[in-house]
Amino acid sequence: MNAKRLTALLTLSLAILCLGCPSQPKPTTGPAERRAAKQAERAGQPARTFTIGMSQCNLGEPWRVQMNKDVEEAARKHPELQISFKDAQNKTEVQQAQVREFVAQGVDLLIISPKEALPLTKPVAEAYDKGIPVIVLDRKVQGDKFTCFIGGDNVMIGREAGKFLVKKLGPSTSLGAVSVSNRGKGSIVELKGLMTSTPGQERHDGFMEGIKGSDLKIIFDADCHWLEPDAQKEMNSALSRFDRIDAVYAHNDPSAHGAYLAAKQEGKGREKRIVFIGIDALPHEGIKYVEQGILAATFQYPTGGADAIDIALKILNGEEVPKNIILGTRLFTKDTLPAGQYIAPGEQS
Amino acid sequence: MSEPSTPRPREHPPALRRALTALDRYRGLLALLAVFLLGVVFSPRHLTTGQSLFLTGENQANVLFEYAEYGILAAGMTLVILTAGIDLSVGSVLGLSATAFSFLMIAKGWPAWLAILACCLLGAACGTVNGALVSALRIQPFVATLAMMVAARGLAKLVSGGIKVQPGAQPWYAFQSAPPHFFGWMTSPVIGDWLKPITLLFLLVIILMAVLVRFTRFGRHLYAIGGNEEAARLSGIQVGRSKTSAYLLCGLLAGLAGICNACRMELGDPEAGFTYELDAIAAVVIGGTSLMGGRGGMMLTLIGTLIIGYINKILSLNGVEEAFRLLAKGAIIVAAVLIQRRR
Repeated sequence: MNAKRLTALLTLSLAILCLGCPSQPKPTTGPAERRAAKQAERAGQPARTFTIGMSQCNLGEPWRVQMNKDVEEAARKHPELQISFKDAQNKTEVQQAQVREFVAQGVDLLIISPKEALPLTKPVAEAYDKGIPVIVLDRKVQGDKFTCFIGGDNVMIGREAGKFLVKKLGPSTSLGAVSVSNRGKGSIVELKGLMTSTPGQERHDGFMEGIKGSDLKIIFDADCHWLEPDAQKEMNSALSRFDRIDAVYAHNDPSAHGAYLAAKQEGKGREKRIVFIGIDALPHEGIKYVEQGILAATFQYPTGGADAIDIALKILNGEEVPKNIILGTRLFTKDTLPAGQYIAPGEQS
Repeated sequence: MSEPSTPRPREHPPALRRALTALDRYRGLLALLAVFLLGVVFSPRHLTTGQSLFLTGENQANVLFEYAEYGILAAGMTLVILTAGIDLSVGSVLGLSATAFSFLMIAKGWPAWLAILACCLLGAACGTVNGALVSALRIQPFVATLAMMVAARGLAKLVSGGIKVQPGAQPWYAFQSAPPHFFGWMTSPVIGDWLKPITLLFLLVIILMAVLVRFTRFGRHLYAIGGNEEAARLSGIQVGRSKTSAYLLCGLLAGLAGICNACRMELGDPEAGFTYELDAIAAVVIGGTSLMGGRGGMMLTLIGTLIIGYINKILSLNGVEEAFRLLAKGAIIVAAVLIQRRR
């Protein structure tokens, strides 16, 4: 390998690196703005830009793409905020390293949606102890070393999903003036999300509460890790094992859709007889599926992206914020489209 | 007068020739230096102090910490590759060890030293099976270790019961809310502000393995076997035993790496280490050890691991998108191998 070839190859690597680097978000303060800021300072008014680091666990999930979009749109209305996004591609070690990098960079605030609670607890705690406020979105970390948690109430959503199926699968109620208690009857397949994450556990627990006392039985359940291909695979085995499936409760819409496709591809027409329900209700995904009749219902799981920016601004201005903010949900069915039926946190429908 | 029919090769002046030979000998180190310089040039800065994020002691310690597992795996892989073999099972054995370690400590409440011993033995046992398959049953290393890769993954899921082993995952676990103190100890600084036990373990493993490969008879046997197995056998080297020992050590180191993984994640994931074997092989190859066996060494593997680690760190610090990251890494692997190729 002579020096010429060596140089050529190093240059090639450099070139590839340069190609990749433009994805770094451009700072919103160019020289002109910085000068303006200095002028404003001199005029006696403080002007400062805040850098917020956003650590997302997996942009492979459409719901998380939406979360990042919500954060970005909300931040665009406040030019003093500059957001730096990092995606861990569903790898825990990568997310740990990215949190460490944000801390080393000296961000003013950290927003994180952790992949799993336990491995991310320590890096988040280290950031918190160094004085960096931390907003945790959607999935919790353990302990209380964070500034604010914003998330939906997955237990409540699971419960509402359970109650929806009880109503949907049960015998019709009321004989005249006497209402017959609707006990609901049927076999259910539960396609779960990642069970080491709190939303998966809570959507399951809530669902079990919701179907308590009814005749609904879960005949098959599997951990599909929130992913559509996994859900399709698991549904295939459920379909081959059981002749009678009345409903599929999937912890998110992609999983529900995967189950629908599995039933359709089975060729026996079961996709018309099974009731599919999911959670997330993204406009181009879950809500579309309800419009198309693929899903009987979907529950909106708000990303909390916009709320995160509101809370971030409060924190950066030195205001007190609550430790936990629980968001409500909306039920989307053919009847409640397009706006859905709002269910507040803690409310029983 | 007859002119020579073949063109004369370009002759460098003696001084330049000496310089180029030196350059050639230290090409691995030079590649690492080049990557380091790239890191310095492309380093983002601290938002308030303006200091380079790349050029801090903490950053170097972070790279060593984050790539400790890959480095330990690569060290074991070097031994096997020196004999012209390969071990595809190291990732799965890492997962098995991580799961078993977490299970023994979190679920069964074993003391740390006993769990470490058990998991190292477990890794060594997997390695011995690999070695036996390769030397006694004469199965190709690729195939034998492929089988172990799949089987070890299955064992890991068996040990964990299919879930991730973490405090409170089952009601009968000894630890219900937080993992044992040892887990946190391994990932907290012990010397100064940044040197953690996992980092120190990585360095210790590299040094021990370097001594083993360079200064012991066993090490020289590995080179001989990789260079020409028949000649080695005919000259009296116990080829089967040496090869099995190489695989045994490789498995043991995979077990050690699994323990590090469990401490870092604070849980035992049966899927841990998935595709890690590819990164280990890449580190060995980029470092300069030949896949054909017989050439290379432990220090070269350290260089290879650091090159991969620094490149990943540079891409991560600069927030480069995943797509470009993967493309860049592919190009760099090819470039590094071309640079390492002998004239």
